[in-house]
Amino acid sequence: MTHGSSQDVRGRGDADDPALATVAPTAASAAAGTAAPALATAGDAVVVDEGSGRAGAVQPRRKVSWRARLARDRSLILMTMPAVLLLAVFAYIPIAGNVVAWQDYSPFLGIADSQWVGWYNFQRLFVNDAFWHAVGNTLLITAFQLVFFFPVPIVMALLLNSVMTPRVRTTIQSIVYLPHFFSWVIVVTVFQQLFGGAGFVAQRLADLGYDGFDLMTDPDTFLVLITMQSVWKDAGWGMIIFLAALSTVDPALYEAAVVDGANRWRRIWHVTLPALRPVIILLLILRLGDALTVGFEQLILQRGAVGVDASEVLDTFVYYQGVINGDWSFAAAAGLLKGVVSLVLVLGANKLAHLFGEAGVYKRA
Amino acid sequence: MTTKSPGIPPTRYRVGRRGFLGLMGLGAAAIGAPTLLAACGNGGGAVGSAGGGGSVSAGVLPNYLPIEYIAPDFPSVNGSTAGYSSIPGDLVKAFSAPPGSGGTFTAMTPLWGTIPPTEGNQYYDAVNGALGSTLRFQISDGNTYGDKLAAVLASADDVPDWVSIPTWNVPPRFTEAVEGLFEDLTPYLSGANVEKYKNLANIPTDVWKFCVFNDKLYALPFPGEVINNAIFYRRDVLEGLGITEQPTDAQGLADLAKELTSPGDQRWGCEDLWTAATMMFAVPEKWTQDDAGNLVHRIETEQYRAALEWQVELYASGAVHPDAVADKTEESKQRFESGESLIATDGVGGWHEALSRQLQSNPGYDQQAFAPIAADGGTPVLYKGSPANIFSFLKKNEDPARIEELLAVADFLAAPFGTEEYHLVNFGVEGVHYETDGDGLPVPTDLAATELQPTYTFLVDPPVVNTKVQYPGFVEDYCTWMADAAQYLADPLFYGMQISEPSRFAALDAPFPDLEKDIARGRKSMADMDEAVETWRTSGGDELRQFYQDILDAQ
Repeated sequence: MTHGSSQDVRGRGDADDPALATVAPTAASAAAGTAAPALATAGDAVVVDEGSGRAGAVQPRRKVSWRARLARDRSLILMTMPAVLLLAVFAYIPIAGNVVAWQDYSPFLGIADSQWVGWYNFQRLFVNDAFWHAVGNTLLITAFQLVFFFPVPIVMALLLNSVMTPRVRTTIQSIVYLPHFFSWVIVVTVFQQLFGGAGFVAQRLADLGYDGFDLMTDPDTFLVLITMQSVWKDAGWGMIIFLAALSTVDPALYEAAVVDGANRWRRIWHVTLPALRPVIILLLILRLGDALTVGFEQLILQRGAVGVDASEVLDTFVYYQGVINGDWSFAAAAGLLKGVVSLVLVLGANKLAHLFGEAGVYKRA
Repeated sequence: MTTKSPGIPPTRYRVGRRGFLGLMGLGAAAIGAPTLLAACGNGGGAVGSAGGGGSVSAGVLPNYLPIEYIAPDFPSVNGSTAGYSSIPGDLVKAFSAPPGSGGTFTAMTPLWGTIPPTEGNQYYDAVNGALGSTLRFQISDGNTYGDKLAAVLASADDVPDWVSIPTWNVPPRFTEAVEGLFEDLTPYLSGANVEKYKNLANIPTDVWKFCVFNDKLYALPFPGEVINNAIFYRRDVLEGLGITEQPTDAQGLADLAKELTSPGDQRWGCEDLWTAATMMFAVPEKWTQDDAGNLVHRIETEQYRAALEWQVELYASGAVHPDAVADKTEESKQRFESGESLIATDGVGGWHEALSRQLQSNPGYDQQAFAPIAADGGTPVLYKGSPANIFSFLKKNEDPARIEELLAVADFLAAPFGTEEYHLVNFGVEGVHYETDGDGLPVPTDLAATELQPTYTFLVDPPVVNTKVQYPGFVEDYCTWMADAAQYLADPLFYGMQISEPSRFAALDAPFPDLEKDIARGRKSMADMDEAVETWRTSGGDELRQFYQDILDAQ
């Protein structure tokens, strides 16, 4: 059954699967730097099981003609149309606007009248120290969060799954994913009130005779700080997908494992984790594709507190160069480079997943 | 980055979730409005020598014909803002008939407050009725106005007939937009042409000069005050602590802030005082000349370095509120008004706004401005503020009659204090938006709070006077403080000139606001500043100096 459940997810690799049709472009658009609604991704992932019944049909399908497949899947295709249309209008067509990266673009002259400058903006980009500094920061934050943030929802899901009382479970679940709905302004303010120089902790410490505690303005611990904020805000939300995957594990497997003499730890190792593996790999790939996206508001809100050196990442770099300095083309070049690198990362990670025998985000039909 | 709100709602600096742009605009505004404007170049340097250089040909400016309906109780001294302590019983009717001819126009304005309903709003109905033209407002949140503006201006079809543009929201490359989108008002207002519009002719020449882009008059002004910022302190709290002596030099101010600090009582000496430091040390807003007459940029001056070093010591002393150290500027007014921090810099317009928020719940609230302080205790130098804080532009129109109608409307809106027109625009309709109390002062009704928000005033406004009679003693405090401060005024180099730098210089200044913060907080040293200044010089600063030198030589 462990095997069966990974098959379920493999069904997602099927290009005709409506759920997948939405997941893949979402990933692509996220990679292109467009904010894709996270909700949609999560929702789609949960829907996956419905398609599992057809998973067995993968092999013979190749022989069916294109026309026949169209006729058969007509209603499914129709159902995906709204999503495809939305993506086309809000993601694919605007991609064409990236041509400004090869211009000296002015919004008042428009794309048609702005001067073409060839690869000039990219040349400037490659010799720009601030840009590489931003890239370095971005990768540092990604790497740190991959180790200290990514596993947190998995651990939380495992812990929560072991809580047997449904009422306690739903209560905990609601509490931990509530912060997801707070905006970053609120999250940063809450942290400021707690850990700032005039915050709760500093006040208590001052009462005890320790002065000068201020976590919010220390560039050296900024990495830890933003990871804490991210965990607090989004770990509970990230947990949902893992909980959904856990709920599909057949209880009979655990019973069988117990009969075989497996203790709690063994059951997690041999039953639970293998069930989660495809989901973990999928999310890891999506995360890698997002490696160059490490949060925008969170960082920009704390830019003044810790300084540019610690807080400048690719997205803020693009914002300041483009919107603030009006150097739109330069910013577009930086954004485009980011999109291309992200795409390569997703493709690479997906390939790697295939090598390890996992379905990954997508695979060829 | 300190809040700065010259004469208009400072709440615009209450940066919301998406208010970064406003905040950044501020950073630039702290350097001086021309920086922002200068940040908008013309791509290929296509601006003619007369255009980019900010020079204004003689025939372009409107004539100045001052009118005064009532003599102010606190007259202007050296250009300081005049004030009125009461509302006159009989108002002058400046327009015998509505100036408009029945046209309907769209207008886009910012608002730092709750956006009023535009349909069924008795205030708009009344003013539009008196105008004889209908203005339909598209009101946007002032904190994010710059973002909205950039989008609207980039799409010519969406540009309203009349657009208000705060000087700190002027988008990059704006000069390209001006010529393409907006009507050149020179033929309508230059020289004696303006005399048709008597209230517009009442606007001083310096203000008009600032409205000239590429040697053509494009904008209508919301005039500014000669002094835009002040160092405020909580007199009520300080007196409660037994402190009545005012600081007379920069060290004195820092010592006072330190003395007031008591974290155990949740009380800190001050907010970020960068603006105060630049005032005390007389840091030029952009350029100054050394003894040999060479141009020296602000970041190269001794004053700038001294101001930074002063900030470093201030921060190191622990007198700055920790949330201000964390750069939470959006709540700085809240901290100051609640007494968590006792000294703060703000735009002069922030003064009465604080009173309007606090006096009701805390009648003892007393905020005052320090008299100008010179860093070394000598004679202070204050650089004059921009002559206008907000511009408005008229969209290009084939039909001159439409433009003339809008100018007639603008003339109505520019009617000064003492006229029925001013009263209507600022206080609304009697019995609906205000009741007159025993002293003849207008008391706003509840409806005024929802309907009457500043909108028309952001299109065009008469020269600034202080008429905030509703706060006891405020007009006197304000006008006497400014009259005293105005004696130290000095014209900055290129004062009131609208200079458009080529766009390749746009990002030159960008690293400095961040660096100023880094240095103050001890994250970077003055050596880093030296390096940044050197980079600035080699990556275009010296070219920029030459650009300005040419303008100077041409004068």
